[in-house]
Amino acid sequence: MKTLVYIETKNNKPFNGCLELIHEAMDLGEGTAVLIGNDCEDSAKEVSRYGIPVLVLDTEAVCQDTVLAALVSAAADTQSELILMSATQTGKDLAPRLAARLDTGCITDVVGIRKDGESLIFTRPAYGGAVLEDMQFAEGKKAVATVRGGSFTKAEAAQAGDITVKSIEIPADAVKAKLIDTAVEITELVNLEGAEVIVAGGRGCGDAQTFGLVEELAKLLGGVVGASRPAIEEGWVSRAHQIGQSGKIVSPKLYIACGISGAMQHVSGMIGSDYIVAINKDEDAPIFDTADISIVGRCEEILPLMIEEIRARKA
Amino acid sequence: MNILVCVKQVPDDFAKVHLGENGKPALEGIDKVVNAFDTYAVEMAVRLCENHGGRVVVATIGAEEEVRPSMVQMIAVGANQAYIFAPNTADGDESSVAAGLAELVKKTEETIGESFDLIMCGKESTDEISSQVGAMLAEKLNLSFVSSVIDVKPAEAGLCVKQETEEGSASYEVSCPAVVTVAKPEYDPRYPNLKSKMAARKAVIPYLSDALTPVQPAVRCMNYQEPAKREAGVKIQEKNAVDAVARAIALMADDKVL
Repeated sequence: MKTLVYIETKNNKPFNGCLELIHEAMDLGEGTAVLIGNDCEDSAKEVSRYGIPVLVLDTEAVCQDTVLAALVSAAADTQSELILMSATQTGKDLAPRLAARLDTGCITDVVGIRKDGESLIFTRPAYGGAVLEDMQFAEGKKAVATVRGGSFTKAEAAQAGDITVKSIEIPADAVKAKLIDTAVEITELVNLEGAEVIVAGGRGCGDAQTFGLVEELAKLLGGVVGASRPAIEEGWVSRAHQIGQSGKIVSPKLYIACGISGAMQHVSGMIGSDYIVAINKDEDAPIFDTADISIVGRCEEILPLMIEEIRARKA
Repeated sequence: MNILVCVKQVPDDFAKVHLGENGKPALEGIDKVVNAFDTYAVEMAVRLCENHGGRVVVATIGAEEEVRPSMVQMIAVGANQAYIFAPNTADGDESSVAAGLAELVKKTEETIGESFDLIMCGKESTDEISSQVGAMLAEKLNLSFVSSVIDVKPAEAGLCVKQETEEGSASYEVSCPAVVTVAKPEYDPRYPNLKSKMAARKAVIPYLSDALTPVQPAVRCMNYQEPAKREAGVKIQEKNAVDAVARAIALMADDKVL
């Protein structure tokens, strides 16, 4: 099956979630990776190292409307039957728009693709991750899908694929939403997806001071701080740390949930963790149903002791 | 300014959904609510009209008696008029819903005799969480599109909209009409008061039973599964926090996770 993979780039580096799609695309048949912009040279080289042919569409103005127009042309040029993107904010904006232009539908947040005879079955979560749906495109329709990060393994380096650079003119009237300003409010780099240890806090922390203990424990274990939505709404930490349906999907070796009750929207983002420790004062908290170790107790009492104990073991 | 907000009724997302005996999500016992992101869109639209004049129309696709309470609720929190359209397909995917909404926009404009300056949807619905319909609707109407909007202001050439991004925010200028999807703004949606509730209950909400052309979905759900469950492990419930922590750490050390 001819498959097109859209590789998002930033600061001339390909986005990791997009690189994860390359192996799957080549597995399904003829894959092509497409990069769009005026500064993709290094990214194109990096992508080609995974053995996939790379198409660079060189265009001056880069915004979502122009990228969309370029993707329509790339899909036609490569006669692709399947177009894959990473389920980033950009991917989730572009995929349904591209699907509409190709007169087809779209599947969001795919976590698995399998062959069923001639056709493909796409698995995706719904209802906050409580249910998995097996979806199929109607016969004769092109397939457009966004894939959730971490669903596929990154390809191994192989003999470099060919790089074709094509410059395209996008008509000025393609740009309907004019970007006038961007504001960067979150400057910290929070690598939750790549973390081996995550210590996360929720509403049950009670105050910023106790959330500070979550941060201290994370630091002590060489891990990253996570949070559920209430902790972000309380202002204890920025939304770059959010884990769950509307945040990041993570799968660390160790996940320590502090004062997190375990709403489905949060659990669906961390259920892939290897080992889960949960601290909650409510002995019936749903988070305990998924935890390897459940500690019934208050975060402000348990966390200082835990920090002390781990520090003593390290010494 | 004429604003249309497209609203979807969903099962309350506080309830955990399980599969029923027929292998499909068992939604019967779960309360029906207006999709949270749609309530943010209605609040944003009502505020915009309170500050700059205009009218907010809400519309939904569904069975009349099933969705009417949600429409009444939206009128109680500030929408001026509501319409209910009968579904254009029994087994709709996002592309067929978007096609239905595109038609709904035209039919509603004909009914009220004016065109919309802004069409709003929630950025995603809390049941299917696919964040496709608003984007597809913009394409089907050939209008400009911005997702995850947290603020809208009138601007010289149309509207200035602020989008929430992974790093912060981005501001766009769009000409009217435009389609935007709405994320959670800084404020919460208002609650209805007794007077607005009483008035809304009497509202005439037209039901258009055959206004939408039947369509075939492009995507179908073939099968549902529940994800593999995790086994709950050891529960530590000690009177003394020191003992609880000592036991937990010993177990973690045995399992070599520290």
